[in-house]
Amino acid sequence: MVFLIGESPMVEELGEQCARVGYTITVKFNRPLQKEKLPPLLRSSSTIPRGTALAIELTNTDKEKKKKNILLLEKSLPGHTVILSSSVTVTATEQASWLKSPERLMGLSALPTLLSQQLLEVAPTVNTSTKTVSTIKNFLERLGKETAVVQDRIGMVLPRILCMLVNEASFAVMENAAPPRDIDTAMKLGTNYPLGPIEWADKIGIQQVFSVLESLHQDLGEERYRIAPLVRQMAAGKRWWST
Amino acid sequence: MATIGIVGAGTMGGGIAHVAALSGFNVLLHDISTDVLNRALQRISTDLQKGIEKGKISAENVEQTKQRIRSTSTFDDFSPCNLVVEAAVEKLDVKKNIFSELEQRCLPDAILATNTSSLSVTAIASSVKNAERVVGMHFFNPPHLMKLVEIVRGQKSSDETIRKTIDLAKQLGKTPVLVNDTPGFIVNRCARPFYGEALRILGEGIASVEDIDRIVRLEGGFKMGPFELMDLIGIDVNFAVTKSIYEQTFGEPRYRPHVIQQAMVNAGYLGRKAKQGFYKYEL
Repeated sequence: MVFLIGESPMVEELGEQCARVGYTITVKFNRPLQKEKLPPLLRSSSTIPRGTALAIELTNTDKEKKKKNILLLEKSLPGHTVILSSSVTVTATEQASWLKSPERLMGLSALPTLLSQQLLEVAPTVNTSTKTVSTIKNFLERLGKETAVVQDRIGMVLPRILCMLVNEASFAVMENAAPPRDIDTAMKLGTNYPLGPIEWADKIGIQQVFSVLESLHQDLGEERYRIAPLVRQMAAGKRWWST
Repeated sequence: MATIGIVGAGTMGGGIAHVAALSGFNVLLHDISTDVLNRALQRISTDLQKGIEKGKISAENVEQTKQRIRSTSTFDDFSPCNLVVEAAVEKLDVKKNIFSELEQRCLPDAILATNTSSLSVTAIASSVKNAERVVGMHFFNPPHLMKLVEIVRGQKSSDETIRKTIDLAKQLGKTPVLVNDTPGFIVNRCARPFYGEALRILGEGIASVEDIDRIVRLEGGFKMGPFELMDLIGIDVNFAVTKSIYEQTFGEPRYRPHVIQQAMVNAGYLGRKAKQGFYKYEL
């Protein structure tokens, strides 16, 4: 039995994959989802079912809410129950420091769309137990995924690269180098990227991208990670170029 | 059919000559070295031959295509050209000299295009009295296979020059994308974080070369990871592009090169062409 808590559409995206391989899934959203939008294989509940063997926290854009969720999981689940938590905008190490038993938590590279790919990155902390690591690896294997173990740092590997690609393309748009669609065309034809940077941001969600960039800038403190004002504006206005 | 002049018969110049001749244009291919010219003609012949084997082109068409290419080592022959694409070495003074030579010999309404990937089109155009006719036409390697051409609008490029150049790129079977004359244009600029962040992630010990490439391929769906791609492009070439954009933007931190790039170049680990880069290749 797996319990997923956090942001839409990540909860549905990963929840459906779990349900398809036979896990019983219960989900809880940060903001209530309209009933008709809940995929049929998922059951929504405000309480965490007894017998939950693995809990997954998927919040990137609201650190306070994420902390509340993690503390709720700790309060509701026995001490040995493993927690897999998105560690793209808050390190797994910081999240584990909120817990009385930090050995139960490991980080995951969770972003919309990327959750459906063939490989996911996981980040253990200095306190993550071998049992936690093996439980999570087995779980991801059952989902048919490869894993890559990376150091526990903001943005991990792919989210950091992708969000910085979006940031650069956004600066190029702002500076009137070329319009968004032409940038996508050029990047796909000129470099063989599967999607252009503007399309990536559309799939992932500009607010998610903004959160990753904001966390990178805060963590690394370098001008290199300055957020393109266009990303900031579009994230605040909840708009982007749809593809 | 119109005549296209091409200056410089290296990989790019030769490839552009191939594309232009295949699209039915008469081509005048220029290089100061007859050796380089002969090698370019040989390579075009080999590449066209591959086209026959793949069933993309008939043997007859290959013969006609080859006959449309004439080689020369003097600019005196350039008077009938309607458009010239300069694909010489990436040095501003060399390109400026070529453009002022071309201006004296070509028709006043001939378009003068540069295939530069890293220099300012506006700076190259400064050597020409009528800079309205100067434009960037950035092909990608190898030109006969890559669909994209960045059409670069210099500060003084006229709308008519841009329109004609876009039309021409389409006649060559390419997809033109118009970009203003900004450092790195679109592709070289927007691809910087792909390498730059990967190098940072490696440098900070977050993941290994192999893992970063695997993550980018399998989690991102990219055909190649950043280190495999740097090995293919040439670590020195990619480093030079990064440095050029960094310098042209007066040290914008987003484009700052990484010490790993310098170390690899110092060691001669330039990628596939040196049999060693981030990976080792069979000798």
